[in-house]
Amino acid sequence: MPVTRLLHPLYQLGNPQLRIFRPNWFLTLVRPGKEQPPDTVQFRVPMEMTKYDIKNYLEKIYNVPVGAIRTRIQFGSNKKRNHLNQKVKQPDYKVAYVQLAQGQTFTFPNIFPEKDQTPTEGSMEEMQEKFMEDEKQRQKLDPRRGGVTEWFGL
Amino acid sequence: MASSSSLGRVLTLCKQFQSVFRISPAINVQHCSVNLKICQQNLLSERISLIAPPWISPINSVAQHRALHTSVSRRGLEEFFDNPENWGESTVKSGAPWTAKQLRTKSNEDLHKLWYVLLKERNMLLTLEQEAKRQRVQMPSPERLRKVERSMIRLDTVVNERETALRLLQTGQEKGRPGAWRRNMFGFEYWYRFKEYAIPWYMNKRYKRKKFYTPYFVQPHIRLRIEKFLREKARKADLKRKSLAKLKERFPQMKVPSS
Repeated sequence: MPVTRLLHPLYQLGNPQLRIFRPNWFLTLVRPGKEQPPDTVQFRVPMEMTKYDIKNYLEKIYNVPVGAIRTRIQFGSNKKRNHLNQKVKQPDYKVAYVQLAQGQTFTFPNIFPEKDQTPTEGSMEEMQEKFMEDEKQRQKLDPRRGGVTEWFGL
Repeated sequence: MASSSSLGRVLTLCKQFQSVFRISPAINVQHCSVNLKICQQNLLSERISLIAPPWISPINSVAQHRALHTSVSRRGLEEFFDNPENWGESTVKSGAPWTAKQLRTKSNEDLHKLWYVLLKERNMLLTLEQEAKRQRVQMPSPERLRKVERSMIRLDTVVNERETALRLLQTGQEKGRPGAWRRNMFGFEYWYRFKEYAIPWYMNKRYKRKKFYTPYFVQPHIRLRIEKFLREKARKADLKRKSLAKLKERFPQMKVPSS
């Protein structure tokens, strides 16, 4: 995203609330590394978002009832070295733990379940597989020779 | 004719929205009923506004409204994940990103809605990407992220265009944030963007500390700076010319580059 240098008007008491149209903040719902209570959801949020921002974001855009929010900043490792032996920094990010209200629970679903990969009839992949099988069959030694190598004998 | 064209636009919009949304099978019954009610209301209102054009078949209009109403379905945190049908697939089909030309035909309201649609899609894709990274599997169709990004950038440009046009009409200002060319202490000219202050400038100590003028004794230094720049330029040109001449001496058949 291009950086939008938005300048809000100076707030004075009694002015209308400052609002964001077209927010360019993106949340990532992540599977918690350590086990969390069932009503807690873990997000990676942009650094400049506050707890109130997260609450408003989830309630207004996603219509999720939010109880409490705790945030922390995760230090990205700078231990790695590149080929010039310089330190390489992974970017820091903010982690938010959102507790849902109204007794809602959330468990991270398995979004990569095992599916049987049978290629469809008449497709390119199926033909390729068939061809490979044929080739393998052809490359096999003659079973009547009883495992004697090809170059032996007439 | 105007009504028919607007309806056609609505239809295409619905189709495009359909590609963005996916109808979840797990919409609860309450939502469905609510949607149906809204659907009927909308249908009625549209009938009234269009004075019931005879060629609207009920099936067609219902299909339209159903496509529209997927946007209303609120699934909460489910929206951070793809449609369950697409879980575990290696590729997921997706359409082309929105072009600026397409977006220019939409109303401001539509664009505002579309921004949130794209935002949700992007959040979903980022979640998917992170989970794929974590499980060390390939993300299905990672090109979708780029598509959504491009659509969002284009949407932003279109909205900015409109804002600029309106501002030019109303105030004649080209830029949203007013500013002026100012000169600093070292004789550099730069675009100074104005900012709101709570107190007037003559009371503002911090503002008064700034210097928007070039003292007289800096003039020789400015001249020297220009001289330095010109010398550097001449030196570089000279070096290039000399190296070329040397090369020409060694390889007389060489073609001289045009630049």
